[in-house]
Amino acid sequence: MGMATANSGGSEGMELCIFDLRRGQQEGQELDKILFFFPADLPFSTQLSVIGLSEGLITFTRIFSPEAACELIEAERHSHVFYEAEPDIWMVMVVEKSKEAEAIWRIDALREVLKEIHSLFMMFYGPVREMLEKDPSGGLTRAHLYPFVMDYLSDFLVGKKTQLPSFRDCLKEFGTVQMLTVGREAAIEVQSLVRVLESGAGATHCYSLILFQDLLVSTTLSPDDTINLFAYAIQRLSPRALSSGASSWSYLRRGSTPSHVVVGPTFATVSVSDQFHHLPANSPSQDNSYHVKRPLQHNRWSKGKDGFLVTDIWGTETGSLIPSTPTIWLQQTGERMYLCAYQYKSLTLILLVPLSSILNGEQGVSLVKQQVLENASLKILKVEEKLSKGWGGENAYHVSGYRYLLIDDDRNVSRASPPAKVTTLAKESLLAMSKLREEVDLEKSRSKWDNADRDKDLEICIRVKNNAWVIARTTRGKELYMVLERANETLLYASDAFEKFSDRYCGGAFSLD
Amino acid sequence: MSGKASSSQLSVSSSGSGGLSHVYIQHPPLRCNVPRSRGLFYDDGNKLFIIQVFSWKTAPFDPLVAPTSDLISEGPILSIRYSLDAKIIAIQRTSQEIQFFHRETGQNFCHKCNPESESILGFFWTDCPLCHFVLVKNSGLDLLACDAESKSLQLVKTRKLNVSWYLYTHESRMVLLASGMQCNTFSGFQFSSAGIVCLPKFEMIMAKSEANSKPVLAAEDVYIATIYGRIYCLQIDRVAMLLHSYRFYQDAVVQQGSLPIYSSQIAVSVVDNVLLIHQVDAKVVILYDIFANSRAPISAPLPLLLRGLPRSNSFTSRSTAKDSESPEANISDSESKIYGDDWTFMIPDLACDVSNKLLWKINLDLEAISACSSEVPSVLEFLQHRKLEASKAKQLCLAITHNLILERRPVLMVAKAVEVLMVSYSQALKTGSYLKGIKDTEVNAQFKSLKTNPKVNKEKLSGGAERSSTEVHISSSQSQQLGPANSPLNASVSERQESQLTSPAISPDEMYSFVFAPVEEEMVGDSSYLVAIILEFLRSASSVKKKVKPNINVLAIQLLARNERYAELSLFIINKVLEPSKKVAMQLLESGGQNSQVRKLGLDMLRQLSFHHDYVLQLVQDGYYLEALRYARKHKVVTVRPSLFLEAALASNDSQLLAAVLRFFSDFTPGFKTTSDCHTYNRILYEMNSAVAV
Repeated sequence: MGMATANSGGSEGMELCIFDLRRGQQEGQELDKILFFFPADLPFSTQLSVIGLSEGLITFTRIFSPEAACELIEAERHSHVFYEAEPDIWMVMVVEKSKEAEAIWRIDALREVLKEIHSLFMMFYGPVREMLEKDPSGGLTRAHLYPFVMDYLSDFLVGKKTQLPSFRDCLKEFGTVQMLTVGREAAIEVQSLVRVLESGAGATHCYSLILFQDLLVSTTLSPDDTINLFAYAIQRLSPRALSSGASSWSYLRRGSTPSHVVVGPTFATVSVSDQFHHLPANSPSQDNSYHVKRPLQHNRWSKGKDGFLVTDIWGTETGSLIPSTPTIWLQQTGERMYLCAYQYKSLTLILLVPLSSILNGEQGVSLVKQQVLENASLKILKVEEKLSKGWGGENAYHVSGYRYLLIDDDRNVSRASPPAKVTTLAKESLLAMSKLREEVDLEKSRSKWDNADRDKDLEICIRVKNNAWVIARTTRGKELYMVLERANETLLYASDAFEKFSDRYCGGAFSLD
Repeated sequence: MSGKASSSQLSVSSSGSGGLSHVYIQHPPLRCNVPRSRGLFYDDGNKLFIIQVFSWKTAPFDPLVAPTSDLISEGPILSIRYSLDAKIIAIQRTSQEIQFFHRETGQNFCHKCNPESESILGFFWTDCPLCHFVLVKNSGLDLLACDAESKSLQLVKTRKLNVSWYLYTHESRMVLLASGMQCNTFSGFQFSSAGIVCLPKFEMIMAKSEANSKPVLAAEDVYIATIYGRIYCLQIDRVAMLLHSYRFYQDAVVQQGSLPIYSSQIAVSVVDNVLLIHQVDAKVVILYDIFANSRAPISAPLPLLLRGLPRSNSFTSRSTAKDSESPEANISDSESKIYGDDWTFMIPDLACDVSNKLLWKINLDLEAISACSSEVPSVLEFLQHRKLEASKAKQLCLAITHNLILERRPVLMVAKAVEVLMVSYSQALKTGSYLKGIKDTEVNAQFKSLKTNPKVNKEKLSGGAERSSTEVHISSSQSQQLGPANSPLNASVSERQESQLTSPAISPDEMYSFVFAPVEEEMVGDSSYLVAIILEFLRSASSVKKKVKPNINVLAIQLLARNERYAELSLFIINKVLEPSKKVAMQLLESGGQNSQVRKLGLDMLRQLSFHHDYVLQLVQDGYYLEALRYARKHKVVTVRPSLFLEAALASNDSQLLAAVLRFFSDFTPGFKTTSDCHTYNRILYEMNSAVAV
């Protein structure tokens, strides 16, 4: 612990900082800007130079584009990815480019990581700006940000290295949810359960989220809140997350390890990621006067006797041993909600109850839980049974011959070939796809400025050196990416294969001509 | 009480017609006043009430029916029955002789039995193909057939048995012959049109009052009851104070459990498949619905009510005596006496006041029954089984469901209620009793009248103490409007409706028009409750594999969109909870005005349902001209006019787009180049381009 271990941390190749442009504008107070810096043990002068460069560029580019300033600096050996999380609160990630280390990045994927950090942070603590206003010294914010981001990054730890989404993850989409396809009858049962859940709590305006395995079945939350809660749920609450302990973000790891092997909380993982789990002594959170909850900590959730998931992250209610119920903050309504998660076999139900509707704290929450059990347990059994019956397993959404990624931007939903299948692709194919996606990203952001309310149709077909077809098509808010290896050499064949896929699995959305 | 008046107070806690009761007899009765007459017979085969030579039709029941009379020779009448084709009258003259009269020709002949050894206990006509006439003697059964001219009877078969007494109902076509010391051993035969079924012998259990006593079962203590087409035998055990029930199967008789009785004198009626047990001493009726598994009574024991008497009358004066003015003079006290000493009950639903020669028909008060229970799903189930007053039961069901939702009762309860209705509907479809194209207008009109008094509903919503008083006020005012003279007329009206509607089953479409649509109009506040109900409705419909019409889906979309619950809406559409249809797609497009994602769902639905023309139009409307053109070419949509695209392209003020559209039509639409559109827009394009050049 402490300085020694901090130096050996797996920070090489990556820096991440969060700073506030409204702070530290006086000479000599520059340090005040810094809200977070990783690695924390870099000298302040280095930290300030990274932030200074970023700030300079932002100020410069704002002259030409006040609404959207700098997005990216591509240097020879580094990429600087910018993300304006809240007005004047910036997150910048600096990654090293290196061909040998497979450090080939898709910038939008990295930006999605920044976005997710911020969204999740907001989900638990509310906007950063509000926190800064509450405690103008910035100490409160730093005390929260540091452990939070470190806990978050620990999910990307592979061995001693932080492995960010690279070209190998080109057939995955960050910041989207994956949905379970259900039949009509099951869907009706699910929706019926949703009504019972939300009405059973007796309070007004409850929300719910239902997952089966790691897939979303139903949500009544707004799209943004759904994405955040979904991300948290599959990382920390789903049956897999509960059983596999401190594994990494499952979206990265999913499929590469057999899901049913229960990996207990091993000591090895803990010791390697020492820096992440035990905060260094010189970290900004030194000041212990802030009581900081760390919702992203591993192995802190478990299933209680009544089927509800419990955690001690939120501490215990004063004068009792009962763990406090977690609360989260909704982006859409700005309301604080109690989070009650219930698990039955592969089914995870999350019920959000407004804090304002429960007057007597934990007692009220446990009453709500009791009511949920009373009203809904039969329906839960039924839904679980129906969904399990229709569940096609890990590879349910595999389409043989295709490696694909389908994104619905309007609904923030994506579906992709199972990761285990994607790993069979050649490196060339993946690199080509990653490159292609960057092109599409660029085209998309361009058309967003040109014509905000109209989606552009786009189609790109590439024949890669290893004779694979790499195809992308976007139409009216939907994107479909596809790699066809060992395919016929004619373009006609490739486009036929594409059409066939679109007709069968996308309701013909991509076969317009 | 008319259908209209009653339906407007459907869920009022007690029907406002004078007193609490679930069963009533309607004044006036059928008055069978024949001077100096003796003997009173009921021919259940023809449903005729007979006094000597006069006979009254009792089905359909009309108190004003005129008797018909036949000319028969003088002599004692022990029993009398008309043949099923009503051509012959059989009259038992003595215990040895039966006389037959031809009604048309006036001819007659006699049938006698062996005077020494046998005596006739009774007889009946059957529609069994083997025999037309069955004679029950103490020595067994004689099955007889008429010859072609109906001039004499031939013996077809005899069954030798010792018979103490017998029981027969035409409804069940079943004769039970009692034998043995205690008369509790029974042989049963069914003479149905399919042939004769011989039941195994069985014994009825009887409790003993003392160790050695051997009670004898009397004929009056056994009833044959036909309920839901099943045949039951009910036996009164006076010692145990129980009513035992047995059900007859083709090859077995199975005891079905017992019901408690609370009176030494018991009578049984069956009205519309509901078992009525009259506790004569206590002057109350207990109702059982044997269909349901439970042996619990439908409701608390309540007296039989005499309806339609003027208020001043002693019986009804309890409630509203003060407002009544002129009592009708001709109502005698005797007529208002319920459960008199010489009342006899005739299966299934008639009661006869022998001494006054009055015949009453027993009716169920569906409103009162449905109002007395808070267990709405079971009430609905009960109502759904009613065939006699199907239209009233149907209205009641609709109104109950309607109010249930308006009152925002728990979703689970409403879900159960809706499920009951859907299951019943699917069963009605299976059995074919749900007539398609029943006069919707009529139901509609009646339902409208139910809603004409919005006060009722509002009061219910607000709740509180004053609510009941208001309702009582409404109901009493209505019953005042209806004079007693009104009643017979209304009774005949409802009779007419019964003939049209054979089942109270409610189709999903009717659920929409009479429940959801009106509820949606009247409901205030958050509509997510209604969405939950609609969802439960869809669930029940899908569980019985019935499709719902798009209008209910459209309603669900409107409600969700109004509450801006777009996440759920898109889940509903994507998972096809709301089934795709053109109407649904159009509603999505309309609701999508506020949410582009919803609009896209509508577009996708149009495309997937292959409504190419509409899809192209919508694309144009959204400004996707080239996409629309490509789509039109691919799917050969020729119904969209080129000028529509051209105008749109021109309006966009984009010369490139206009050029592309023009080029498309020139290339792919034969003959386009010669149209005036082509020339006009070519010129416009030229001008646009030259303007840019300048």
